[in-house]
Amino acid sequence: MLGFELTLAARELSKRKLRTFLTTAAITLGTLVIFGMNILLPTMLKAFQANLLMASGQVDLTVTLKTGEAFSRSTLTRVRRVPGVSAVSGILSRTINIPDKFYGKTNVAALTLTGIDPSAAQTLRTYTIVGGRFLRSDDPQAAVITQSLADQLGLQVGDKLKVPTTDGAFSFKVVGLLPARTLPGNEEVLITLTQAQKLLDLPDRINTVEANLDTTDPARRQVILDQVAADLGKDYTLGGMSAGSEIMSSLQTGQIAFNLFGFLSLFMGGFIILNTFRTIVAERRHDIGMLRAIGASRRTILSLILVEGLVQGVIGTAIGIGLGYLLGAGIVYLETGLMAQYIHIQMGQPVVTLELLVVTACLGVGVTVLAGLLPALAATRVTPLEALRPPVADAGQRIGRRSFVVGVVFLVLGIAGFAVGGIKLAALGCLAFLIGLILVAPTLVRPIASVFSVLIGLIFAREGTGTIAQSNLVRQPSRAAITASSTMIGLAIIVGMGGLVFSITGGFLDVLQRSLGSDYLVMPPSVGLWKSNVGARSDLADRLRNVPGVAVVSSLRYASASGNGQDVALLGINPTDYARVASLTFQQGDGPTAYAALSAGRGLIANGIFTAQAALKLGDEVQLSTPTGVKPYTVVGIAGDYLNAKISTAYISQASLQADFRKTEDVFIQLNLAPEADPAQVEPRLKDILADYPQFSLVSGRGYVEQNQKIFDAVFGFLFVLLGVLTMPSLIALLNTLAIGVIERTREIGMLRAIGSTRRQVRRMVIAEALLLAALGTALGLLAGLYLGYVMVLGMSVGGYPIHYVFPFAGLVAATAIGLLFGVLAAIIPARQAAHMDIIRALQYE
Amino acid sequence: MSLIEVENLTKVYGAGETAVTALSEVTLRVEVGEFVAIMGPSGCGKSTLLHLMGGLDRPSSGEVVIDGEKLSRLSDEALTRLRRRKIGFVFQFFNLIPVLTATENAALPVTLDGVKPAQAKAQARVWLEKVGLGKRLDSRPDQLSGGQQQRVAVARALVADPKLILADEPTGNLDTRASEEVVGLLRQAADDWQRAVVMVTHDPRIAAYADRILFLRDGVLVEEMHLDQGQTGSADRVMDTMRQLA
Ligand SMILES: Nc1ncnc2c1ncn2[C@@H]1O[C@H](COP(=O)(O)OP(=O)(O)OP(=O)(O)O)[C@@H](O)[C@H]1O
Ligand SMILES: [Mg+2]
Repeated sequence: MLGFELTLAARELSKRKLRTFLTTAAITLGTLVIFGMNILLPTMLKAFQANLLMASGQVDLTVTLKTGEAFSRSTLTRVRRVPGVSAVSGILSRTINIPDKFYGKTNVAALTLTGIDPSAAQTLRTYTIVGGRFLRSDDPQAAVITQSLADQLGLQVGDKLKVPTTDGAFSFKVVGLLPARTLPGNEEVLITLTQAQKLLDLPDRINTVEANLDTTDPARRQVILDQVAADLGKDYTLGGMSAGSEIMSSLQTGQIAFNLFGFLSLFMGGFIILNTFRTIVAERRHDIGMLRAIGASRRTILSLILVEGLVQGVIGTAIGIGLGYLLGAGIVYLETGLMAQYIHIQMGQPVVTLELLVVTACLGVGVTVLAGLLPALAATRVTPLEALRPPVADAGQRIGRRSFVVGVVFLVLGIAGFAVGGIKLAALGCLAFLIGLILVAPTLVRPIASVFSVLIGLIFAREGTGTIAQSNLVRQPSRAAITASSTMIGLAIIVGMGGLVFSITGGFLDVLQRSLGSDYLVMPPSVGLWKSNVGARSDLADRLRNVPGVAVVSSLRYASASGNGQDVALLGINPTDYARVASLTFQQGDGPTAYAALSAGRGLIANGIFTAQAALKLGDEVQLSTPTGVKPYTVVGIAGDYLNAKISTAYISQASLQADFRKTEDVFIQLNLAPEADPAQVEPRLKDILADYPQFSLVSGRGYVEQNQKIFDAVFGFLFVLLGVLTMPSLIALLNTLAIGVIERTREIGMLRAIGSTRRQVRRMVIAEALLLAALGTALGLLAGLYLGYVMVLGMSVGGYPIHYVFPFAGLVAATAIGLLFGVLAAIIPARQAAHMDIIRALQYE
Repeated sequence: MSLIEVENLTKVYGAGETAVTALSEVTLRVEVGEFVAIMGPSGCGKSTLLHLMGGLDRPSSGEVVIDGEKLSRLSDEALTRLRRRKIGFVFQFFNLIPVLTATENAALPVTLDGVKPAQAKAQARVWLEKVGLGKRLDSRPDQLSGGQQQRVAVARALVADPKLILADEPTGNLDTRASEEVVGLLRQAADDWQRAVVMVTHDPRIAAYADRILFLRDGVLVEEMHLDQGQTGSADRVMDTMRQLA
């Protein structure tokens, strides 16, 4: 029985090739985006995980002894056995101070000699080699060094590198080069583990276990980390990537966002299909009525239309999956170069899972069939009598008041949703707002069309074409509205993401700059996870302060506490020094007052997360549980910094921390040089001092900020490219609607030409209609986009990100330009078709 | 019992002040092998009567019984099946599916009934031969003349071996020669293939092919006229009656 439906579907589809192509293309694009993005993002995520923090030497998890001593390889096995640990590698690493004049005139203060197991290490990170080759296990004499060290020493691949060891100087052969380091103090010399053990006289020992975890889900990661800690006991310290997890969670957010966008573009695809099938049903009312008259059941009619949808759904999805793979793999390929060049990140092979394949296929075909269902059901309601009426062109379509009212209700709910509720409601609010706009759109078609047609009238003079275009558009308001809605979604994505991205780059990097903009940072292995760090007594800070040329030293101290029943990380700052090297970003209160209040007594500055969790406001009293009993603290400011953006944190004075929590250990130190100081002179002295504190590394603050900026730029740059892809369905929607309009009005166009319209006039009529449609979609899109962006930014700032909404002027301009450009582009083919129509055939057209 | 029994059939369109009584208390019977024509001025309810007899629409009151089945008792599903198996339709606008060939179009009712495509087409070809289109089996509707298209429609109406053929102005869009060919086929359907044929027409010469002509005015059956197919001059008699009634 289905054979008949299939035959008919195939014939109808091949009869209207352009329309079939456009409809199928809509599905293709939707699935393409979903499939492509889901190939791309996990690959990127993996790449970031594997090598983002190569520069600062971090992986998911590092295990060291608290004493810093070397330990037996059996620890490695114990870590590997913990479920959830996906790769492990043992390392023996030692900082080697280089005597003055060791390399002649070039002054290198210290090197990090790192013995690795070449094959195990590469399962953990991807080492980018910029020259020569990587280490091999059977390479006792070989070393791989950084490009920057090679440049300093004037070495090339094949040259010898002398390194002082307990046995005297040892000569390595440089076999490969790692990318230059942007951060100082990290000049690394990679050698084989066995050789390192021999040279350092620590046979069979390692001093670090590095491991990666099999998940990015924070909760699950914590479970795994806790398990490792429990298995190893309290002699060991766990470190891990946390500065990097900022990026990782941004990427995760990105993945969610792109899935959302992929779904939205599939949604647009659904709209296009809906439009097409409505037309198909309208066009074939006569045929359908006849089929009903001669005995086709409603079910036959239903499956007739659905089979046609199914055929297109299957073909479109198949092509979409194919192209999606090419897109995903293509971007991975392109990004590989960019990433490697700018942020030294190596991308792996694109990953396709069966699950993704199945889900994408179901979504693609499902949306098509679903979108076809509504018109198909309408088709089953066509009565047999329809066949007996002579075909009369539709004079116009009335629009229900009800959808307008429901739409307005949704709009109000959407706005109220985020005005009243938290971020969760705001997300629902966004959806409600979009649905509301879509429902209201048909009613807006007429007024908006008449406003814009005045403008278009100015362009197209007084030929009457503008008026015809306007009334053509208004004739099918719901089709125009559906088309405009898909343009709306496309542009809303651009404007919304624009708002978000500008706000992030404008606000976030500013905070980053303020938090970490000091000349030097003395960083512990994991920033943010203060608990796991071994600090330094305050004499380290004093020694640093005494180095000539150092102007200010400020440290952070840490204690964990609970305030008003919520866990909170307490950071002790020296209010005067802190303000000189860094600054908090205040949401409530201001710096000078707050810092003064901290100095004066039990004051506390709460960050966004803690404020939200403990429901605080300025002036509130917080009961902090301390080892010396519960103590009342007053909220003197609400402010945060970059490092602790995602952790419930409060800042108090170091004096209070000492008095109430008995903590005096510095976990993080920032310092600024005097304006006239020469970094080249000061830096070696700082490194000398820090050589006694292997848990800390010295990092240039400016370099750190710049590196982060590069990461942001790279991520967002490619984000905008993707957003461009996401707007393509709206172009297709426009094209599709215009093409449908031209086909539908074939007879009218024939008549216009018969009574003397020129081709040019007919063409202009279609272009004017396209511009009207595009204007309509653009107007709605800007509105929705501004709202979306604002809510997303608000959501992120409520969630603790220190960002402020920045109005995306550039996004608005870009979206408007894209909208109108799409209008013109979409008109090209249909306008040509209309203009070159054979008049006699058009007049006989059924 | 007659093949078709129409009892007190009334159809009112709309309600209240704008209500239009298209058909009022019409009663008639049609026998197997009989060819009945329905005539009357425009808007008198001819099409309405035909639609009700074919189960395409529901009456306001009264009953249509086809081959013993009361249409008012049938569900939409059953009515659909009845149309498929017992009734063949011929429309004024030929109503062929443009993307299907002549054979496929003619085969539609049996195809829809679940007959295997090959067999359905074989059946359709038999009927296309009978209506004289044996050479145009694979042509698409747009490659056929109006008369040929209507002959495909007649083949389609006959293919499922229905007992009743309903035709609403089947010659309305055709020239004289094509009209005569089509109505000749309907005559043949009654005589040779023993179908009951009910046809609406404006044309006295076409109506003259029928055994019996029913005249409608303002929804009421006003006159009935029997014709003898052996006689000539029937068309003139029809014309006279029309003039009397006008
Ligand atoms: N769907 C409808 N709604 C309202 N009135 C209708 C409808 N269909 C038909 N009518 C009215 O019913 C009456 C009978 O119409 P019908 O189509 O049966 O006439 P007809 O005899 O077939 O005319 P013609 O020869 O012009 O085809 C007319 O007055 C017509 O206006
Ligand atoms: Mg009629």
